[in-house]
Amino acid sequence: MAGAVLEALRARFGGAILETTSAYGDDVAVVKRESLHEVAAFLRDDPAMAMSYPCYCTCVDYLGMELLTISPTTPLAVPAIPSSLPEEAPRYAMVYELRSIKHRHRIRIKVPLTEGDLKVQTLSDLWPAFNWLERETFDMYGVAFEGHPDLRRIFMYDEFIGHPLRKDYPKERRQPLVRREFSDE
Amino acid sequence: MAEIKKLVLGRKIVEDLDEDQELPSELMTVNMGPSHPAMHGTVRIVLTVDGERVVESDVQPGFLHRCFEKESEYATYTQIFPYTDRLNYISPMINNVGYAMAVEKLLGLTDAVPVRAQYIRVIVSEISRITDHLTCVGASAMELGAFTPFLYFLKAREWLFELLEELSGARLTYSYVRIGGVVSDLTPDFHERLIDLLDKIDGVMLEVEALLNNNRIFRDRMEGVGPFSAEDAIAFGLSGPVLRACGVDYDVRKDNPYLVYDRLEFDVPVGSAGDCLDRYLVRLEEMRQSSKMLRQCMRDIPAGPVIVDDPRVAMPPKKEAYNTIEAMIRHFKHIVDGIRVPPGEAYTWVEGGNGELGFFIVSDGTGRPWKCYCRSPSLINTQSVSKTIQGHLISDIVPIFGMINMIGGECDK
Amino acid sequence: MSEQPQASPQTVTLTIDGRQVTVPKGTSVIEAAKQVGIEVSAFCYHPGLTVVAVCRQCLVKIDGQPKLQPSCQAVCADGMVVHTADDWSRGARPQMLEFTLVNHPIDCPICDKAGECTLQQLYFEHDNAASRMDVPKVRKPKVVDLGPHIVLDAERCILCTRCIRVCDEVAGQHQLEMKNRGDHEEIATAPGAELDNAYSINTVDVCPVGALTSKDFRFTMRAWELMTTPSICTGCATGCNIEIHHKNERVWRLVPRFNAEVNRHWMCDEGRFTYHKLRTRRMVAPAIDGLPARWDEAIGHAARLMAAAIQKSPAGVGVVFSPQHTNEDNYALVRLAREMWGVTRFYVGGKGPVPERADKILRDADINPNRRGVKAVVGDATIAGAQVLGEDLSQGEISALLVLGHDLELGPEPMERAAMLEALVVIADSEEGIAARARVALPSAAWAEVAGTMTNRQGLVQRLHQAFAPPGQALPAWEIITRLGQASGAALGYGHVRQVFEEMVGKVGELSGQAARWGRETRPIQLRFANSRG
Repeated sequence: MAGAVLEALRARFGGAILETTSAYGDDVAVVKRESLHEVAAFLRDDPAMAMSYPCYCTCVDYLGMELLTISPTTPLAVPAIPSSLPEEAPRYAMVYELRSIKHRHRIRIKVPLTEGDLKVQTLSDLWPAFNWLERETFDMYGVAFEGHPDLRRIFMYDEFIGHPLRKDYPKERRQPLVRREFSDE
Repeated sequence: MAEIKKLVLGRKIVEDLDEDQELPSELMTVNMGPSHPAMHGTVRIVLTVDGERVVESDVQPGFLHRCFEKESEYATYTQIFPYTDRLNYISPMINNVGYAMAVEKLLGLTDAVPVRAQYIRVIVSEISRITDHLTCVGASAMELGAFTPFLYFLKAREWLFELLEELSGARLTYSYVRIGGVVSDLTPDFHERLIDLLDKIDGVMLEVEALLNNNRIFRDRMEGVGPFSAEDAIAFGLSGPVLRACGVDYDVRKDNPYLVYDRLEFDVPVGSAGDCLDRYLVRLEEMRQSSKMLRQCMRDIPAGPVIVDDPRVAMPPKKEAYNTIEAMIRHFKHIVDGIRVPPGEAYTWVEGGNGELGFFIVSDGTGRPWKCYCRSPSLINTQSVSKTIQGHLISDIVPIFGMINMIGGECDK
Repeated sequence: MSEQPQASPQTVTLTIDGRQVTVPKGTSVIEAAKQVGIEVSAFCYHPGLTVVAVCRQCLVKIDGQPKLQPSCQAVCADGMVVHTADDWSRGARPQMLEFTLVNHPIDCPICDKAGECTLQQLYFEHDNAASRMDVPKVRKPKVVDLGPHIVLDAERCILCTRCIRVCDEVAGQHQLEMKNRGDHEEIATAPGAELDNAYSINTVDVCPVGALTSKDFRFTMRAWELMTTPSICTGCATGCNIEIHHKNERVWRLVPRFNAEVNRHWMCDEGRFTYHKLRTRRMVAPAIDGLPARWDEAIGHAARLMAAAIQKSPAGVGVVFSPQHTNEDNYALVRLAREMWGVTRFYVGGKGPVPERADKILRDADINPNRRGVKAVVGDATIAGAQVLGEDLSQGEISALLVLGHDLELGPEPMERAAMLEALVVIADSEEGIAARARVALPSAAWAEVAGTMTNRQGLVQRLHQAFAPPGQALPAWEIITRLGQASGAALGYGHVRQVFEEMVGKVGELSGQAARWGRETRPIQLRFANSRG
């Protein structure tokens, strides 16, 4: 069961699946942005996959990440990971997790996105749950979801400037107080 | 016109109407919340109503957003526990446990957590689940006008809070769990007190059920209100009692057992119609099942340590820290640098009071997480409110929203 | 191996943990290990000091040797096979740490070094065993005044002798020594003598524990709360590379940054204290005739005064450059003065020389950081100094002065003359000196609050980074000069200091080819994310 989903994806989509890993018992498939909707639809509709349950979607900002590997003298379990991300590595990655209630398997899909080109097709037409979750990701990271019926901020107020969970948004930044003008129409 | 009629008139049969007698009407926009007694926490619903019927609604969460994720990126793994307390603040232990399990997964310590600690985590999680359901049912009943069940249940909740206050020092925001175990052992008289309380709570529940279950007003207001189909529920990502009331048999404790849930005997109540009454009944039954689980845990819990034995993860005992330099150094490095978690990404999920509560943690190898995302069941459950209340009366929003059990802290993070 | 690397006679090739590495002859094993990314734990080893191998923390297994060898002392040889992660080496490290910790006091809560302590770091990474001590620890004096800047806590000392070597090798004076024997050993000065050489606080930097603390910094701030920004010391023309450790817009200490060409690992004590001036007598608001004014008013007034003076007699208008300010500030000023206003009377201010300071180690007699830069930017190596300015003032040849910086050593009489000039505009960060007598005083940001470059005595162009925002309404001097230019109808057009730098590098002959010296932008990093110091 562990690798079956990944194998099926690789068999069916070939080059669109950039990478598959399986660490900590989680199956992860890195998918090209253009194929995301197709892959997701396949995962939902194919009877062997039957990923009917949308778990969550979020985004990770890798700006300035330097992986600090623990030295070989320390005996905590460490899976092999390169010591730092290469310069050309995409800055963002959308992360989706889907689950099948019937078959009890799940998969995590990651879609790498680069800084100037932060958009991806919406999955809210496949699972209504992604409507708000994509709004949350848009609010926090600024990822534009093409085809989303109602893409607006969900947690932050409308006049908020910036996307707070990005790594270059400092925690202490202040936003100007908002004063709304009410007209007497 | 017929479409609008069906939408607006909801359950009434369209043929009953007499077109000639139709009064001209227009849709009205009404604001419900964020400061509203029935909007648990703070949620704003902008309603477009035709008379009393809801045509359309825009549920706007976010008034309680306290930047859980951003703050987590600047705090050590142990410092995040108080933040997790304040997510679902009615069942904080479950948040603590879920988060601790996510970090332990990255550390590879999931199996190394001592068995006694696992039992204790299950015990406090189930107590938190009981408090969550007590609050939900009590508050919803109060909003329908039944004040007595609210007071009875909150009295029961108070007993549990007192018990947990003896255990952890706080009534509501415990921060009792640590990476690798729990912070301290159960108090010596915990067992007797808990069994005693469970007996008393069973009694309270019988009283409240006698007041509510066959009450004409309660049944009318809850039965058939806000039905949700199973397919819709799955597509909307619902989880917890809300999902199970729709007939989908999915409970993390059974489907993906963690800690010692696989050793406990319990049933998972599943409804059929997905309306408010089913949700209410599922919650009541879950409380009983939790009570059953608690008795089993107290019977089976072994002796032993309550935190893992790894010095890189567990803080040294205070006696050693104040008297030996080695433990003092360990204490310092824990506080200043945090627990160094190997780089990686992992997602762990537990059964929260409202459903699947998950934590997705990205670690970069230092003592602070790179990202700590909380998959909050309240946010995803609340998304379905808009669809559920469509076509219902404004006064139906109250039980629907109450039975969703949206906890503001968890919804807005 | 498939192919033997060509071993030139000046290098040797050895294997460390299965990885081959080729190093110059004479390299120690610990340095060779660093080259393949292996950090061997050590206390007494320091790359800038001689090797003594007293701590035995760096023991590694070398094939063919019957006992573990200290890797700081073992010299690499061809074909040597070194293991740093085998059971024997890994077992030795906690044993040595246990010995080191036997008499170590439980001082972490009150010790300055907590958070940047090598002993804490190595114990947590390599040992983590519980204490086996069941006898009282050896007591030693805890607050020993070693000198004007250093306090010794003898109990914390792990007897690594780094401080003794710093005094010997960096300062060139043997002022510290070990007294007593065995576990009663203590660091001490000769009876009646003090640790008072000019580089004494370097001992605090190299001390792996909190035994030596600097009176200037002790008990003021916890290390892990500090943010670090790289910069250059502005104490003298040497331009030692430093890190500014700051928090909440306030500098708490300065520590040296490694630079092989300028200062290696060290800096002098005086340089460390230059941060005190950042908070004393700062000018925070523009002033016209001593009264606070708005920026636009002050700039406008200054521009009018200067324009009037230039119109009356351009030859009488003088501009004083500052070797205490960055190249960019001086460049903007020379462009404004020479190209836009047509002024040719240039002087350079700054503090006077202190010949007693000059030693062959780091300190220079010129206590201005950027004199060479000023000369390059102005394009005149023989630019007149404060003395000539004083004479010109006394003889009444000057009608107006635009002064950059407040350090201008004028005698009392020329100062009075300057105060009576029609137009005396001073751009400075402090209210002292000539700034107190100015008609229009414009507050500028100080060295820790600006990004820019300075040229040291060796001709190296070094980058300063901004640690925090300037206080009050102060602005960087190049920005003030740009505004002054704008108000007098001369558009310099500088929006960012990098623009100034790039134009300067293109136009000033001596600085051509230095474009890369701007480096990368940094953001202040919290010390707790950086490696432990020492």
